[in-house]
Amino acid sequence: MTLRRRIVPYLLLGPGTIWLLLFFVVPLFYMAELSLRSGTFGNYEFTWHWANYSEALDLYDTQLVRSFLYAGVATLIALLIAYPLAYTIAFKAGRWRNALLFAVVAPFFTTYLIRTIAWETILSDDSPVTKVLHAIGLAPSGHVLATGGAVIAGLTYNFLPFMILPIYASLERIDVRLIEAARDLYSSAAQAFWRVTLPLSAPGVIAGTLLTFIPAAGDYVNAQFLGGAGNQMIGNVIQALYLSQSNYPSAAALSFVLMALIMVAVVIYIRFAGSEALMGEESR
Amino acid sequence: MSRQSSRGTALTIASLIAALALALGLSACGGGGGIGGGGDKEAETVKLEGKPSGSLTISNWPLYIDSGTVPAFEKASGVSVKYIEDVNDNNSFFGKMQPLLSQGQSGGRSVFVVTDWMAAKMRELGYLQNLDKSAIPNVEANLAKSLRHPSFDPNRDFSVPWQTGLGGLIVRKDLAPNIHSVCDLFDPQYKGKVDFLNEVIETVPLVMACEGVEPDSASEADWTKAIDKIGKAVEEGQIRRFTGNDYARDLTSGDAVAVIGWSGDAVQLQADNPNIEFRMPTEGCSLWSDNMVIPVGAPNPTAGEAWMNYVYDPEVQANIAEYVNYVTPVEGVKEVLAEREPALAKNQLIFPSEAFTKNCFTQPKLSAEELQKVTQAYDAVING
Amino acid sequence: MSGESRGTRAWRWLREHAVNMVAGLVVLYLLIPIAVILLFSFNDPQGRYNYTWVGFTLDHWAHAFSRPELTEALLTSLKLALLATLISTAIGTIMALALVRHNFRGRRLANFLIVIPMATPEVVMGAALLSFFLIYNAPPLGFETLLIAHVMFCISFVVVVVRSRLIGFDRSLEEAAKDLGASPFQTFRLVTLPLIMPGIFGGAMLAFALSIDDFVISNFNSGTTVTFPLYIFGAAQRGIPVEVNVIAMILFGTTVAAMGFATWQQARAEKMASVRPDQEAAPVSLGTAAAT
Repeated sequence: MTLRRRIVPYLLLGPGTIWLLLFFVVPLFYMAELSLRSGTFGNYEFTWHWANYSEALDLYDTQLVRSFLYAGVATLIALLIAYPLAYTIAFKAGRWRNALLFAVVAPFFTTYLIRTIAWETILSDDSPVTKVLHAIGLAPSGHVLATGGAVIAGLTYNFLPFMILPIYASLERIDVRLIEAARDLYSSAAQAFWRVTLPLSAPGVIAGTLLTFIPAAGDYVNAQFLGGAGNQMIGNVIQALYLSQSNYPSAAALSFVLMALIMVAVVIYIRFAGSEALMGEESR
Repeated sequence: MSRQSSRGTALTIASLIAALALALGLSACGGGGGIGGGGDKEAETVKLEGKPSGSLTISNWPLYIDSGTVPAFEKASGVSVKYIEDVNDNNSFFGKMQPLLSQGQSGGRSVFVVTDWMAAKMRELGYLQNLDKSAIPNVEANLAKSLRHPSFDPNRDFSVPWQTGLGGLIVRKDLAPNIHSVCDLFDPQYKGKVDFLNEVIETVPLVMACEGVEPDSASEADWTKAIDKIGKAVEEGQIRRFTGNDYARDLTSGDAVAVIGWSGDAVQLQADNPNIEFRMPTEGCSLWSDNMVIPVGAPNPTAGEAWMNYVYDPEVQANIAEYVNYVTPVEGVKEVLAEREPALAKNQLIFPSEAFTKNCFTQPKLSAEELQKVTQAYDAVING
Repeated sequence: MSGESRGTRAWRWLREHAVNMVAGLVVLYLLIPIAVILLFSFNDPQGRYNYTWVGFTLDHWAHAFSRPELTEALLTSLKLALLATLISTAIGTIMALALVRHNFRGRRLANFLIVIPMATPEVVMGAALLSFFLIYNAPPLGFETLLIAHVMFCISFVVVVVRSRLIGFDRSLEEAAKDLGASPFQTFRLVTLPLIMPGIFGGAMLAFALSIDDFVISNFNSGTTVTFPLYIFGAAQRGIPVEVNVIAMILFGTTVAAMGFATWQQARAEKMASVRPDQEAAPVSLGTAAAT
């Protein structure tokens, strides 16, 4: 390879890598150092205090499990909701494609907080929506807000575009002729879907799932506005540790625990789903 | 292929270790003082320079001032004011400011407003300056007598109240007519329909008081007992949410029938829904104030003190009181308002009589360490 | 098929349109909160709280920008989002190209680096950045630090979106251009870039939305600068003024209109450059490339 050819990728990567290293990695390692400190507020000293990590796992295991549960359920529901819509936009929308894409992304432009607060109004105890849900048995106690269900609903809603767009992107790239070929070979519509369309859209599904699950697991806004006592997620704990108790070492340790667990879940998922699809190992 | 990937893995691990070493080295010389750092423990007094001028940045709570006072001050003093409403919550404001304050900086602010216990905490950490009282004669003259010697600042060396208020019960009298004490909130008939506040200093003293304990002389065991009681209520589903000011939403929609809340909000809520009212708990309420303080590193303390002096003029304060609906710390305002808006002057929540607040208590003073402990215990309950 | 019963026909119609109906319901679901926000922007509350419907008024729409702090916060957010989008899209696109098109040492590390920001809780990123800015005492907390933070978390998303567009990209068009004598740069500019433009555009849209929306990281790194979400969070505690709903709707409408315009332009451009299977001639742009 010529020298020029070898340098090109590094040049392309350069600005982004430097930016991320400087403003993401370095601060993070600084926090890692912080997580090994101990002491009282005012003088935290570096003492290789690994106990911060074991304490974090010990004290907050309930919230960790709960967060992964909420995020997992929300991701699953989002997938079930998103796929039909992405499919419609990619294959059946025709002229309406762009309008539908706007409809998907546009709610994003009204600010996360306002959307979540709007859900507070929609799901409040005396709203028609809650009454309907109660009538059909989905809300036995009569209220939807301040339950885990409301938090999951909020997470699903807020991260839905993250699920729809990647799936749409990979569906849209599928060569329709492949599906036609399957039909020509006597498969039914359903079979064509399961055996041709779905596998070809795998990169999008994987990307969408990850883009939804990961931020959802660390979220705290939905739990704060839509959840009640007993529905708080790990993000709320980290926020409290950092801001309300100023317990920086524990906050830092817990954050790393969360990130590590997310990474483990992601690795397992990718192993299961096939890494080439995700990483796009396409080299020439 | 496998040689390449193992080389890749080795490279990854090597660079991670290098980066960790780099960070440890960086932080060693960069100074870990940014985190959890004490500032100077000996508080300095502000250094004033002649007439106020230049620009002044003030941080305050949202919706805590009327629209006319800042422009009027700018006109009267020639100082240009940047008024930001970014104090949403004592703890998160502290979390945001702490790294700055520990390095002697205030992010451009010369005045900000925090509640008593937060002012005490910041003072203990050396983040606040003492005031030069010669520049605030209005405060000396007009500060309400009951506020002159609070336990956290006995000589009012570093704080000047902005507004004060009552913490107690706010109820929907149509849905829960029989709630008269904070202990009533634990009654199973209101299960899932009551909100508590997420600030430990606001909530736990009230719970202790309804159990007969004097908050000011409470022991650590008393605090623990009260927090445990709240924790049990959470487990049983008795408490719906822990909120900041946003209990207002729950009350309005009826999702909550009674909450622990603040007097000023009750006045506002009543405007749209006459069924909402503030109830003085039988065991008494908590009296708190939000205080103006001058932080270390304040760029323009002269203008800051001029501001403090300005808002302690009863005519000016009357405008603020009319809008904010909390209890004003300035004497003479009641008379001014009696002419303008008699109904307001008679409102017990804005001008409470001695009789009304006879059982009320100021926020108990805790050392930084004690505060840390109870906050930790309470947070465990909230985030459980 | 005349032998079909009404029931079977109905069932068939349902199956054919089931997916569309679900999609329609989902769109409705996406737009419900918007409708609620819109509705309450016409509300006329007496007090400070905008929680229950009191009455209809156009007052707040007429005076939407009457609160200077709110307007300033909005402008700050827009400026920030625009700049952050431009920078992060540029940086992210070239990163995606490098990652997909080239095989080089450290590629796995680079992939790893892209993914980690997306797996980090925002609280952590915000707090870590703040400490970093303080240790080195520059730049002063405010717009610059916000910009740095926003670009930082947008890059990863742009990379992921553009990359998914690049994977499986049909290289034969590029090879055709090279065969016709175009230089690598020309090929990139006239063939590759227009064809991956939807991906870049998607990445840019995502970056813009993320930046406008961001609350947590901004809260830590904003100094005295107030962005729109920060303003709302503050107001949420004490009562969100109706003007906030109005402005949210204006923001929504403007962005939709802007995106509509941009996509309309895009569609026109694509139409002009597209290869029609029934035509023999090469596309206009490639022809130009070959001629020069």
